[in-house]
Amino acid sequence: MDLPHIVLHGSAMECEDRSAGKRRLLSAVVDDDESVRESLPDLLREFGFAARAFSSAREFLSSGCVDETGCLILDIAMPNMSGPELQQELKRSGREIPTIFITGQKDETIRTQVLNQGAAAFLLKPFSDTALLAAIKTAMEGN
Amino acid sequence: MTPTNDSTFEASIPTAPLESILCEEALQSRASRSPDYEKENRALVKLMKALADSPSTIFQMLADTILEVTEADSAGLSLLTKDGKTPHVDGQRFYWPAIAGMWQPHVGGGTPRNFGPCGDVLDRDATLLFTHWERRYPYLSCAVPFAEEGLLVPFYVDGKAVGTIWGIMHSDRRKFDAEDGRIMSSLGKFASSAYQALMHIEDLKIQISERERVEAEVREMASGLQAKVRRLVEANVVGIVMWNLDGVITEANESFLRMVQYDRDDLTSGRVRWTDLTPPEWRECDYWAIAQLKATGAFLPYEKEFFRKDGSRVPILLGGALFEGSGNDGVAFVLNLSKQKRAQEELRRSEAFLAEAQRLTHIGSYSWRVATDEIKWSEQLYRIYEFEIGIPLTIEMIRSRVHPEDCTLYEKMVEQGQNGANDFEWQYRLLMPDHSIKYLHALAHATRDQDGQLEYIAAVQDVTARRLAEEARDKARSELAHVARVITLGTMTASIAHELNQPLTGIVTNASTCQRMLGTEPPNIDGALETARRTIRDANRASEVISRLRALFSRKETATESIDLSEATREVIALSLGGLRRNGIVVQADLADSLPTVTGDRIQLQQVILNLLHNATDAMSSIDDRPRVLLIKTEMDQGSRIRLSVKDSGSGFAPQDANKMFEAFHTTKTDGMGIGLSISRSIIEAHQGRLWAAQNDGAGSTFSFSIPCTPEGLADNRADPSVEAA
Repeated sequence: MDLPHIVLHGSAMECEDRSAGKRRLLSAVVDDDESVRESLPDLLREFGFAARAFSSAREFLSSGCVDETGCLILDIAMPNMSGPELQQELKRSGREIPTIFITGQKDETIRTQVLNQGAAAFLLKPFSDTALLAAIKTAMEGN
Repeated sequence: MTPTNDSTFEASIPTAPLESILCEEALQSRASRSPDYEKENRALVKLMKALADSPSTIFQMLADTILEVTEADSAGLSLLTKDGKTPHVDGQRFYWPAIAGMWQPHVGGGTPRNFGPCGDVLDRDATLLFTHWERRYPYLSCAVPFAEEGLLVPFYVDGKAVGTIWGIMHSDRRKFDAEDGRIMSSLGKFASSAYQALMHIEDLKIQISERERVEAEVREMASGLQAKVRRLVEANVVGIVMWNLDGVITEANESFLRMVQYDRDDLTSGRVRWTDLTPPEWRECDYWAIAQLKATGAFLPYEKEFFRKDGSRVPILLGGALFEGSGNDGVAFVLNLSKQKRAQEELRRSEAFLAEAQRLTHIGSYSWRVATDEIKWSEQLYRIYEFEIGIPLTIEMIRSRVHPEDCTLYEKMVEQGQNGANDFEWQYRLLMPDHSIKYLHALAHATRDQDGQLEYIAAVQDVTARRLAEEARDKARSELAHVARVITLGTMTASIAHELNQPLTGIVTNASTCQRMLGTEPPNIDGALETARRTIRDANRASEVISRLRALFSRKETATESIDLSEATREVIALSLGGLRRNGIVVQADLADSLPTVTGDRIQLQQVILNLLHNATDAMSSIDDRPRVLLIKTEMDQGSRIRLSVKDSGSGFAPQDANKMFEAFHTTKTDGMGIGLSISRSIIEAHQGRLWAAQNDGAGSTFSFSIPCTPEGLADNRADPSVEAA
């Protein structure tokens, strides 16, 4: 099935402009699933956030928007670097971001693990907009 | 001078009456000599002696004696005869077998019975004295010298007059007297005995010569026959012996001697007798033969054994008969059966071997002579059909065992056979009395027997075990396939959930966004439209995932089939080509032609191939500095397996991930139909294969799986039970 590839590629320049002196307002969505990348940023914008989507952890890391990201909405199962792995990487490099994990399958082990690692929330797809909002609030407040 | 031979005499000249030549009273009235008894006795003694010693001369002696004692001039005998030389009491003529005296030269002549002096004497039945008889019987004038007087006396045998004795005076020197009459009478009696004795001797002579003739004939016949029989004896093609009921073999030919390895002398001397040659268990047969001999003169051929000289046995066939006229001696032929017995033993052994082989292999055999419906079954075939071994069979009986559903088939086969089809082969089932089913495979060969009649020779194998095993295997396979599907299903459940979750999340998110957009002041209509569009699209995606999944897991009957992996791969490539090209991938296919087939689930295997293609695509998705080449290859692998490999020029994987990759949920695919490597591995393993990954020498990795070929003989397109002409 051929889907129009909607990938929001921000430019490093844009991020840098935005981030100069501003507080972190960006919500970053990292998910290898197209429809998530498509739909979630719009919802976030309705919430009033600035939102960008990335198709992989690497893409996010090399986007230059990491420091600007106030909230990370992260898929768990991804090729190359998984969600938890990204969480580890950020932690390691001292750039922890409030993270909300979203996932398709219920796995207690992973849930426990990521929460222990400091995740703000763990949402099961499909999740309602209100649940997402609540999770984001929790994440922000925890900051 | 030959006296006439006519038995009737026609007088051509007047003849004197009989009385005129007879002088009866003269004999009585004449003075008679006194009897000379001594002389008479001497004469009689001499005659007796002669009769005893040389009976053939007796008549002559008698004639001489008459001459002497009557002092006649001529004397002799007249005997009745038919043919002129042998005495016969019904004769019509007299002949003179012996004459003494002057008339001696007339011996062999004679007179007619009905016209002559001897005839008169027999007519009158009295001694008669004739004088000058030629006056009455002119033919006697031929007999010279004339008879002055003739004295004739009849003599008898068994009351019948057979002739006369007579004396003749040729001059009147002396006249016959009464004494002469008496002596003549006496001598007449003697003549009677002599006659009888001689006749008897003649008879005996005839008998003897007859017997000698017959014997000579028989001897000649016998010697001719003997020569012929001797030929048989000396040809030594069969043993011939002569024996007697005392048990001695009186003669034996070479052939027999060789058979029993004895010398002729051993047997004929009586040292080695019939009973010595016969093993004890065969004696009873000999007794029976002897009984037949005594009853019928011969015995029917029978088999027995003889002991050879060295103690070994020779099997023989024996037949014989008593000689005619003998109650004790006979002849027999003896035929050596060693060769036949060996051949029989060979035959018996090979038959036993065949029966054993049939039992081991559960193959029975039969012959069917079509014209007469004569059916002969081997033991094993009886066992297969569960009939009592050896009972006579009919087509109906056999039909009764055939499974009802195969009955028409059976009829067809019988009909074909009767119509003289060639060799044929068919498979059919039996329904046993206990309701169990047997599967049979029969192969029949048409042949002509020695009379040119159509006959089928067939072998029938009980393949029930094999068929049941096949059915069990098929059942197991379908169960396995089902389990594989279930496993796949199970493994995929999470993946399915995941696959569906993506679009569902999209739907929920987009719908929520839509709501919010419509709730703003003013409403964001464009935004709302966009989210609504996405919602519909995601809903369609979800529905597609479900229908594809449904197709994958439809509860069809086991889809096991023979698959050409190259063909299947080509199909997958064709489906994916668009997507592959869009990803900038160069596809190289190296698919072997005429690969042996593999047996399995086509859809599942194609899913695996698709999975590998997707993995390869993903691996190359971030490659920009070199061509994205995807090589798919199918080939024969060792151990009768087919290998498929997918080689990419992508980023490869770390060695430590080699196994991790195959764990469930390690990867997910963006393509909604994705099945992960773990599921792929399960599928391949359900096909008795294996799936593995290896790093390339250059860039990228190669994923391969190898599964076994369809084994020979178990191809799934089994022939329906039917009759096929071979």
